[in-house]
Amino acid sequence: MKKQIAAVSMAAVLAAVSLSGCGGSSKTPNNDAGSTQTDQTTAASGQESSQTGSSGDKVTLNLCWWGNQTRNDVTKKAVDLYMSQNPNVEIKVEFTDWSGYWDKLSAMAAGGNLPDIIQQDYSYINQYQKSGQLADLTPFIESGVIDTSKIPDSIIESGSIDGKCYALSLGSNAPIMAYDKAIVEEAGVTIPEQMTISELYDISQQIYEKTGAKTYFDGGLNMMQIIARSGGSHLFDELNANDDTSSKVHFANVDRFSKAEFSISPDLLAEKNPDVVETKPLIDGTTWNDFSFSNQFISISNTAGRELGIAMYPTADNASNQSMYLKPSQFFSIAETSQNKEEAAKFINWFTNSVECNEILMAERGIPVNTEVAEAIKPKVDEVSQVVFDYIAAVGQVATPIDEPDPAGKGEVEALGKTTVEDLRYGDVTAEEAAANFVAESNRILTEAAK
Amino acid sequence: MSKQTSVPRKKKSLGQIMNTPGVAGYVFILPFIIGFLAFLALPMILSFGFSFTRYNILESPVFIGLENYKTMFFDDSKFWKVFGVTMYYVLFSVPLRLIMALLVALLLVKSSKLSGFYRAVYYLPSIIGSSVAVAILWKRMFASDGVINALLQTIGIPCEIAWLGRADTAIWTLIILAVWQFGSSMLIFLSGLKQIPVSLYEAATVDGANGIQRFFKITLPMLTPTIFFNLINQLINGFMAFTQSYIITQGKPRDSTLFYTVYMYQNSFTYNKLGYGCAMAWFMVFIVGLLTFVLFKTQNKWVYYES
Amino acid sequence: MKTGYQEKRTIITAIYHVFTFFFACVMIYPLVWMIMSSFKNTNEIFRTAANLFPEEFSFSNYQVGWQGFAGYGFGTFFKNSFFIAGISTIGAVISSAIIGYGFGRIEFKFKGFWFSCMLLAMMLPFQVIMIPQYIIFNKMGWVGSYLPLIVPQFFGQGFFIFLNIQFIKGIPYDLDEAARMDGCSIYSIFIRIILPLIKPSLVTSAIFSFMWRWDDFLSALIYLSDPLKYPVSYALKMFSDPTAGSDWGAMFAMATLSLIPIFLIFLTMQKYLVEGIASTGIKG
Repeated sequence: MKKQIAAVSMAAVLAAVSLSGCGGSSKTPNNDAGSTQTDQTTAASGQESSQTGSSGDKVTLNLCWWGNQTRNDVTKKAVDLYMSQNPNVEIKVEFTDWSGYWDKLSAMAAGGNLPDIIQQDYSYINQYQKSGQLADLTPFIESGVIDTSKIPDSIIESGSIDGKCYALSLGSNAPIMAYDKAIVEEAGVTIPEQMTISELYDISQQIYEKTGAKTYFDGGLNMMQIIARSGGSHLFDELNANDDTSSKVHFANVDRFSKAEFSISPDLLAEKNPDVVETKPLIDGTTWNDFSFSNQFISISNTAGRELGIAMYPTADNASNQSMYLKPSQFFSIAETSQNKEEAAKFINWFTNSVECNEILMAERGIPVNTEVAEAIKPKVDEVSQVVFDYIAAVGQVATPIDEPDPAGKGEVEALGKTTVEDLRYGDVTAEEAAANFVAESNRILTEAAK
Repeated sequence: MSKQTSVPRKKKSLGQIMNTPGVAGYVFILPFIIGFLAFLALPMILSFGFSFTRYNILESPVFIGLENYKTMFFDDSKFWKVFGVTMYYVLFSVPLRLIMALLVALLLVKSSKLSGFYRAVYYLPSIIGSSVAVAILWKRMFASDGVINALLQTIGIPCEIAWLGRADTAIWTLIILAVWQFGSSMLIFLSGLKQIPVSLYEAATVDGANGIQRFFKITLPMLTPTIFFNLINQLINGFMAFTQSYIITQGKPRDSTLFYTVYMYQNSFTYNKLGYGCAMAWFMVFIVGLLTFVLFKTQNKWVYYES
Repeated sequence: MKTGYQEKRTIITAIYHVFTFFFACVMIYPLVWMIMSSFKNTNEIFRTAANLFPEEFSFSNYQVGWQGFAGYGFGTFFKNSFFIAGISTIGAVISSAIIGYGFGRIEFKFKGFWFSCMLLAMMLPFQVIMIPQYIIFNKMGWVGSYLPLIVPQFFGQGFFIFLNIQFIKGIPYDLDEAARMDGCSIYSIFIRIILPLIKPSLVTSAIFSFMWRWDDFLSALIYLSDPLKYPVSYALKMFSDPTAGSDWGAMFAMATLSLIPIFLIFLTMQKYLVEGIASTGIKG
């Protein structure tokens, strides 16, 4: 017992010493500490060392993702297949839920032991790249380890920062407006593929008069970005420049909708909470429409248990640009600290380009980015998924490039947007005040976050 | 350990040293000291240090002096909002929960054939905790077309309030949830009640005291150490409350249910400002510590200890 | 006269039971709702949330849920949870009793300082010490194993230490004095006198410790990496994914199962909890 205590206290002292070094001002302490730490960890827990140095050694890759039961099952199956085809590679998987994933990943980054292959999201890629956690994939693309010949350039660009690719998209998404087909038919209206805000207003009016179903209007950042894009600019560029052009239009729209009789009341909206699939007001038929991304269409349809239609996000009345875009549903990245970048790249190549692999995955992460793979998979998926396949294809025809990856501070701006819209809907501020306040505050947040 | 008393005379001196309170005290709390120094002290010191830095976890912290505290107190209006929300929640949920727990404990302390069953049933809500299941259910119950409104209607109060949709009522659904989960305090009250010597009651009954007198003369004073414990503990828990706000309401509507810890967590991990989050945490420790200190100072006025 | 008194007693007892029982039903309704929901189809859960009973009882949630993820089943997760919660509870209860006696009964230098440290540790939210703690455990090479989850429990838990202190302070000093007269040392007083008398607080600690360790997912999330080592609490999180869809039916089914061990622990322990001082044969 005493020995153990001694060992523990020794370790604590050691940790204290090395930690004080960690908090210092050296430029990349995390990475330095990281490489030695990984070794310690593997040695201590008695696992096989993952060095590739000598030939014939087994390479161990760590692969980490977030997901649900389906994703965990299919991904593991694909990994097992890869390991059977590549006996020199052992892939250790690790999966968790969405919100826990990011807590865990930041702890791992702080400890310098990120997994070799990291599932990444569009809203996090920027900060991980900026802090030097992600490996540049460009050399592997140039050398052909990752074959991108069947992948559209825009997809590669969506994972690129400053001209270098740091993340490879695993599937495509697009913003959607989902609607209840039965209610729309009952009201005798047809939903155009892409409508303007005013058209949406008129349609909402008609539906309310004929059926009593209420309308939900998205007051969040997604809609704001669409408005900015329809004018040929980007929301975060505007906010950084303290420019309120799009914000003004957006909050005026929100105001117009919230004052209309056909809109769901702010009380009820807060109660239902459209941010969560299961409680969206569309699910129980309170509203006839909802806004989301195409990857959620399947689960919204399943939860609603009714046939839903899919349309593009409405665009500004005087749109000068096409506002629709394709968004990577998620990426694979390689950690800068990884000892086996090339092997990791080989796996990513297989994961995106192999039909065999994608027949297991079945577009669970979004429509495959390799166009040949997508075509091969399409006939095999179920009906609702085919609707999404067709939708993504249609958006792909018109889409303009997506906004730059979200800047630091986006999360806070989003939260600010939500409360500002609530204040507006409850009638505490006017649309002009809301816009002015939102832009000023966002600008402060973004400036602060960029430090 | 009890060997010391029976060791032969030659070793008596060591036994005596070990048996002096000054040494024995440290022998007993040694595990705490080791554990504290090994696993807690350093992280605590570091988190205090982080509160003076800009730290996004992915990059090294940058010292910025009191900047975080300045922002917190003077620039961040949301900070005072969540502080107010949390104070309101603590102010109502803690006393209500304790009263509820005490009443039910008094009800269940009686031994009957069913008391084991009752105790289990009353404890069950606390077992489920603040899981997703409770979140969904709670939302359903307080929905505008939910059970609560239906109940109010049957007793003649026409009611279509969206309890979770109004800034003034949403926080009360969380307070009611806290009161509903009184199980842990109840359990402690139960064991506290059972520790009161029966002889005291027997003596009082002989003296002709009735039930109410016995409660105020014996039960309540004898229970004060337990009440004190529960109060301190619930106070700390109240300020630390997280999941209710995080899972059930997500702070809605209009941040009226956004708890201090949730905002702290959002800052630390969602907004990548761990430095700011640490500053918030230490301010909370200061406030809770102050309240606890005051309670400890007043305890010799109302808490009864054997001596 | 006598019958009137008896009648009165019977009526009071009846009222007591009716009231307690009715109130119990209110308390338990949400739990029943959750169990019933675990027999509903996932899609039915939200559309018919107001209905208590499922349209038809289906056990498929239990089948699907039990399979777990990627070939790691709930059998494994339950085994892991029992291991983590069991060992942690033993460690926490024993160490907290020892430490509680030190704080509650013995006078020594700097006691106030150490006690404040303990309270401070209780007040600081885990989220802000999570990252530094991870770095320390990582340096020690413990990340990926159960050690960061279990070992700290063996050095006392503030809540249980405090609980024991309060109980020990309620025990008359005469008992210590008498024992000291008989030649008992500080150590044997603890084992022979104090320990048997704080049984209710030990049992309470054990119930809470087991429940909290059973429910804790945050440390599992941060420190474990091999799915073979995941506990139930952590695995439950994985049924829901806001980005791709959730299987609520399976989640409710497994959540219901995961309540059973805690409930059984409570049922077996609660009778010791209320035994109290009376049964130990010591009169105040």
